[in-house]
Amino acid sequence: MDLSVTIGRTTMPNPVGVASGTFGYGSEYEQLIDVDSIGALYTKAVTRAARPGNEIPRIVETTAGLLNSIGLANVGQERFVTEKYPSLRERACTVIVNVAGDVEDDYVETVEFLEEHAPLSGYELNVSCPNVKAGGLAIGTNPELVEHVTTRVRSVTERPVIVKLTPNVTDPAEIARAAEAGGADAISCMNTLVGMAIDVKNLRTVLPGKTGGLSGPAVRPIGVALAYRVSRAVEIPLIGIGGIDGPDAALQYLLAGAVAVQVGTANFVDPTVTGRTIDGIRTFMQEHNLQRVGEIASLLR
Amino acid sequence: MYAYNPLLLRIGVPGLLLYTRARQLRHVAKDPSNITFFTHTRAAITLLAERLMRHLTPKVLSNSQVSDRYFEMDFEWPHNAPPPSPGSFFTVRVSESEIPLLRRPFAFSGFSRGNSTASMLYERRGTATRQLTTRSPGETIDILAPLGVPFPLPRSETLPVLIAGGIGMGPIFYLAAELHSSGQEAVLIVGARTAGIVPDRTEFQLVETILATDDGSAGCHGTVTDALQNRPDLLDRRLEYFACGPLPMLRAVHQHAKARNECCWVSVEQTMGCAVGACMGCAVRVRGPAEYARVCTEGPVFDSEEIVWT
Ligand SMILES: Cc1cc2nc3c(=O)[nH]c(=O)nc-3n(C[C@H](O)[C@H](O)[C@H](O)COP(=O)(O)OP(=O)(O)OC[C@H]3O[C@@H](n4cnc5c(N)ncnc54)[C@H](O)[C@@H]3O)c2cc1C
Ligand SMILES: Cc1cc2nc3c(=O)[nH]c(=O)nc-3n(C[C@H](O)[C@H](O)[C@H](O)COP(=O)(O)OP(=O)(O)OC[C@H]3O[C@@H](n4cnc5c(N)ncnc54)[C@H](O)[C@@H]3O)c2cc1C
Ligand SMILES: Cc1cc2nc3c(=O)[nH]c(=O)nc-3n(C[C@H](O)[C@H](O)[C@H](O)COP(=O)(O)O)c2cc1C
Ligand code: FES
Ligand code: FES
Repeated sequence: MDLSVTIGRTTMPNPVGVASGTFGYGSEYEQLIDVDSIGALYTKAVTRAARPGNEIPRIVETTAGLLNSIGLANVGQERFVTEKYPSLRERACTVIVNVAGDVEDDYVETVEFLEEHAPLSGYELNVSCPNVKAGGLAIGTNPELVEHVTTRVRSVTERPVIVKLTPNVTDPAEIARAAEAGGADAISCMNTLVGMAIDVKNLRTVLPGKTGGLSGPAVRPIGVALAYRVSRAVEIPLIGIGGIDGPDAALQYLLAGAVAVQVGTANFVDPTVTGRTIDGIRTFMQEHNLQRVGEIASLLR
Repeated sequence: MYAYNPLLLRIGVPGLLLYTRARQLRHVAKDPSNITFFTHTRAAITLLAERLMRHLTPKVLSNSQVSDRYFEMDFEWPHNAPPPSPGSFFTVRVSESEIPLLRRPFAFSGFSRGNSTASMLYERRGTATRQLTTRSPGETIDILAPLGVPFPLPRSETLPVLIAGGIGMGPIFYLAAELHSSGQEAVLIVGARTAGIVPDRTEFQLVETILATDDGSAGCHGTVTDALQNRPDLLDRRLEYFACGPLPMLRAVHQHAKARNECCWVSVEQTMGCAVGACMGCAVRVRGPAEYARVCTEGPVFDSEEIVWT
């Protein structure tokens, strides 16, 4: 049986990755699990300059979900190279750097910079952060801008370029086709959904930035539906994200048409979730006599 | 000299290192504007604290109501797990289902190495804490522990004043017990809205205790800082503060300490996502270029000089 998944020129040892922003740079979980057994580690977003992040509080739990407004808090590309890259370089798993910016040039500059100083397995373009004013959603909701930024990033790296979609548009498939046209190797689907929680006692939104990004089990059905629709709209592989907390949820995505998945919020709840998910997928493949992960999707009636 | 410290027996080498390392922060940074120093020392302490974290499933030994508002749970402490220190905390996965989803953080309110028992003092507030009150002896709980940077050891030339407000009592009681058993003199000030919420604790017999209630139903009528102002004998000495409780109380204690140019340690609270330093969710405003620090791994205990008080 072969659990590996190939995206562009990179092969991940198994289809279960950890989603950007929920796993730091890997070392945070070192005491709890064997980080190298994960299929792919998507880093916290890296930006040109360091960012302190949004006002506090940044997190609030909602029914079966989590609203966050972190705001891309990170040390910036230069300190990423000196502080995070040395340990990431040693990882046995695939390491994809999540890249964010305010304007198109930021994405291109950061990828160029990382190509030179911190080459890892590939890049995930975060054009879908709902918690920053510029960049993020402003780019990810516009097919022309997505195609353009993808084309420019494509021209500065041979490594896989994955475009991370937002569900906050009428037709995510259109954005996916734009990324494909720009030369993306894969689509990550999806980032968080815009949400709001109001404290009725204090008559205020719980998050100072008013809205946040919703993740966790609450968003899973939306993610599975998107994986189903978007994977049929493009030729390139789709990586399914949203509310995955074990084998059942991951298999829903793989049956819907995803070739791999990312586990986000569930890492906070149960750090062993990725291991359980990989084991569950392996058992499922044995039960159905499958040789490759890619065959799972064909089982859906 | 620390080899003979009785604390070593209880909290182990890494715990003691954390304790003493945190201590140096203020010792060396005599100039509180030396933010670079704060930042670097905090990074070093954080690295050490992170190494202690384990995923454990201890058995509940007891779980009962100890005052009008608070509950206390005792659970078994696995022999192979690094012992907690006063001020460190853990997160509990309260439910197997999605509600509540996130683990909830709680401070240790006591620890006995001899009996291999750890305790938490908690208030019934919402979904998670309500479910916690229904846990019975014999059941297991799923925890990540010990987490965070604990309170440091008091400086030898100061009198430690331990200040607890509301549910911030837990870690302060633990610190009081710990200082008592290492033969260190200390004063405990317990603040509450009303007498009924204060549990009866053995620490009150071990350490000189001053009670303050907002409604005057027991002890001094007023806040914890009012209670301190009523004690000129204490104010004559060089004090060092260790506080946990509501934000206005922490701010008041900080201002009091600052006016006297004394050292003040506060344990702060913030909503947490991962509690292991990965998500940047639990940020608190600190001075310096980073602007924010993570409560889960760089705290929850901070030098009050580091915090941006709003
Ligand atoms: C470092 C630290 C130590 C703590 N120690 C104790 C303790 O010793 N005893 C005690 O009773 N309480 C302690 N708390 C607070 C405790 O975590 C909350 O009371 C608990 O999470 C409430 O959950 P709930 O579902 O019952 O209430 P909810 O109704 O969900 O929330 C009530 C309040 O709890 C807080 N809260 C909710 N979710 C979280 C979360 N994921 N992380 C942090 N806070 C949250 C929020 O302020 C919220 O307004 C501590 C918190 C922190 C950060
Ligand atoms: C480890 C830990 C860390 C925590 N950190 C924080 C934190 O950083 N911020 C936060 O909001 N909550 C924090 N909490 C939670 C906080 O302790 C409870 O929310 C708080 O105790 C409210 O409970 P209460 O209503 O019973 O307090 P109350 O009974 O209302 O108050 C407790 C005491 O605080 C005193 N007090 C209140 N205001 C003042 C003032 N202005 N000056 C002097 N004294 C005052 C009161 O007089 C009283 O004696 C923390 C809890 C834990 C366990
Ligand atoms: C606290 C937090 C921080 C996140 N930060 C990022 C980020 O920096 N870049 C990004 O592309 N996605 C980020 N995300 C989105 C996740 O990668 C993921 O797409 C989303 O949470 C949905 O998956 P889940 O339901 O499994 O959590 C973040 C999510 C959370 C909860
Ligand atoms: S804060 Fe997470 S993607 Fe923006
Ligand atoms: S709770 Fe995630 S960094 Fe502190």
